[in-house]
Amino acid sequence: MRVIDVPVSLEDRTLDQLAEGIGAWPPEPFLLNAHGTTWASPYGLVSLLTLGQALHEAKLPRARFAVPESAETRSYWSRIGFFHWASDLFELVGRATRRPFDTPSDVLLPITPIRAFDDVSTVVGKIQERAQRILASEINLAPKASVRFVMTLSEVCQNIIEHAGTGGWVAVQTYYWKKRLGRKVVVIAVSDAGIGFRRSLEATQARQVGERWGDGAALELALMHNVSRYRDPGRGQGLYHIRSYLTRWQGKISVRSGTARIAIVPPWDDDPALAEQLPFFPGSQVQITIPAQEEGDPQ
Amino acid sequence: MMQRIGLAPLLRETVATPYSDLVTRSTGAALRTRIEETISTASHRTTMLDFTAVGLIDFSCADEVVAQLLLRVAGEEEHYVLLFGVSEHHLEAIDHVLERHGLSVAALPVGEGAPRVLGFASPDVAMAFQAIQRLGAGDAKRLGESLGWTVERAADALQSLALRRLIQAAGGTYRPLPLPA
Repeated sequence: MRVIDVPVSLEDRTLDQLAEGIGAWPPEPFLLNAHGTTWASPYGLVSLLTLGQALHEAKLPRARFAVPESAETRSYWSRIGFFHWASDLFELVGRATRRPFDTPSDVLLPITPIRAFDDVSTVVGKIQERAQRILASEINLAPKASVRFVMTLSEVCQNIIEHAGTGGWVAVQTYYWKKRLGRKVVVIAVSDAGIGFRRSLEATQARQVGERWGDGAALELALMHNVSRYRDPGRGQGLYHIRSYLTRWQGKISVRSGTARIAIVPPWDDDPALAEQLPFFPGSQVQITIPAQEEGDPQ
Repeated sequence: MMQRIGLAPLLRETVATPYSDLVTRSTGAALRTRIEETISTASHRTTMLDFTAVGLIDFSCADEVVAQLLLRVAGEEEHYVLLFGVSEHHLEAIDHVLERHGLSVAALPVGEGAPRVLGFASPDVAMAFQAIQRLGAGDAKRLGESLGWTVERAADALQSLALRRLIQAAGGTYRPLPLPA
């Protein structure tokens, strides 16, 4: 059986390594080896679940998943809810506590499935009190900005239901980005195993775009030009608003779909605005990063 | 007479949620259907959508509950919609979705004594709307004198307000929408 190593640190930048290891889709049976993994961002964890979900939906055999050797890493992944959901999607190899317990204090929202609009309402309802307290005390977001944060979360979760054609996952966490930013950040990670932006927009946009049509062009239309597959002018606004809020907060959004990734890049980051011809990864992944606000930052 | 529809209680009846947030397009569509049914069973010319006790409203839900409702009401003869109890948290989403559709609505925000226009409004329309709230019923001549405009300019603004159902027109005179007591 093929063994695919999960990067030691799994996050938005290293997901491409994992995708490269998986290779062409549908993949041959494999064992996902997270034995040496010591850290994963919420983005990394929801992406792993998406991989398991995509295998399941493609009616492929469940992949085996070797859990991290580090007890600390395993404990954290249990507490954020990863093993609870992963045990349905992978054949777990190694000891892991499957039931989530004692959510860590920096987790605003443990990994939560989004399968219907009701799930979005529940997420929004549940997160508000905790989010407002943590966002105010740790990220220094004003109460009005906290409401915008929750609206952002709502819109990005709805994108799963409206466009993916299947369910997905969301998680929200704060952590300290010492090297990259020197500030605390709050991160929303969303991933779904759905049809992706290219297929969602293909029927209405592919002919107009012509030869350049692909994952990158579809992401550009959705994120930069508010294009939706619906003709109603009220549609396609979710990502537009997310973008405008993030500009105000010097935040970052990065969306990966299929073989491309697009990002609104704030001054503190050096990601390319558009990366194409990446190794394929199923579905779509969104990461929103909002840095702690400092005195004088507009909100 | 005015029909009052409390959105927070209607939300709980419609989608059986313990929360008071107006979020998601499907919730908005379900709520709008209930609002339309409620409007159709009454004979009032003005419907007041009461946002009191509503938590947050996201853009997708605002689009369904307010923008799509106004588009449907526009097809009915002389039916007016007023938003009441709108908090600072609601204003941004509602204002934006209406602007996107080129629509407008009169809204009485929490803590404000007079309504304001949300959504699309040219500078003349916005000024005329505010003036009419102060002046009460009148005609183009009266509005023009109050704002230092020609009668034609005032008449244009009043006609725009009436077409957008932001004021009521009656035989060459205009009056503001009735407000809750």
